[in-house]
Amino acid sequence: MENLGIVIGLVHIAAAIALLNGVFTTFGQARVASQAIESMARQPEAADSIRSAMFIGLAFAETSGIYGLLIAIIMLFANPLVNTLINLIS
Amino acid sequence: MLNVDNIWVVYVAGVEIWITETILNTWIIMLFLIGLAVIARIKFKSFQEIPRGFQNAIEVVVEIFDNFAVSTIGPTLSYLAPWFFAVFALILFSALSSIFGLRAPTADWATTFALALATFGLMVAMGLKYRRGAYLKTYIDPHWIFFPMNLIGELAKPVALSFRLYGNMLSGTIILTLYYALTPRFVQIGIPAFLHAFFDVLFGALQTYIFVIISLMFIRLAADDNW
Repeated sequence: MENLGIVIGLVHIAAAIALLNGVFTTFGQARVASQAIESMARQPEAADSIRSAMFIGLAFAETSGIYGLLIAIIMLFANPLVNTLINLIS
Repeated sequence: MLNVDNIWVVYVAGVEIWITETILNTWIIMLFLIGLAVIARIKFKSFQEIPRGFQNAIEVVVEIFDNFAVSTIGPTLSYLAPWFFAVFALILFSALSSIFGLRAPTADWATTFALALATFGLMVAMGLKYRRGAYLKTYIDPHWIFFPMNLIGELAKPVALSFRLYGNMLSGTIILTLYYALTPRFVQIGIPAFLHAFFDVLFGALQTYIFVIISLMFIRLAADDNW
């Protein structure tokens, strides 16, 4: 039972660490958005194409953040190690 | 709502087939979309030169999507636009379906990976059709030593594409489930509407747009020589 508690506690810490990459993702996305707004202000007639390029860039920058989120979700809700431990104990 | 529930099990020739919540919700959305398409087809006979009412709405939707798709994918591949219109409608309506209490089918990796796999198949097929040897040469681009890296990069495309949509839809589903489970009953009236508007309508529409435009870009990247 103690082992299970340690594993679950470590899993939660690991999920939090996996979500930390959101910091860098956010900085990258903020940079994309700020550059896009800057170029939109400089060239308002090109705003439409800049906006679509900005959304694509945001989506690509978001990928690593989504990976971190999915890893955290898998560790919290579908962790194979926890099930193995529960089977071992019972 | 966190995990996908299994509703009933069908036995076909001794093989278990699980009909999950995702499949059922996809059927409901398909029924709605097919009904819409059939109505549009029936009304199509009475379409006039100058559009009015229902015809106007349909023409606007189709024309906007057609312009968007053709400007992204180029005129030579414009015959792929109807397929991506179907994908667009399916993803958008499955995101909107979670407003009505259904679990969004795109919050299941199976759905999004199937759609991304279709994009991957189209990408390879169009690359082989339009560029033949030149497309295969992109796999060994600077030198044949780089083949494994190029292969991994190519195979990562459908995985990243499906994970992006799945992660966004699943995060919305999880946050709304937690909200409904953890709050007292009197704050569950009115306030979730804003959460639904943000996670389902805004994120759903944005991710649908991104999924379709990135799919179109991948296909054009594979099929177009000078792009």
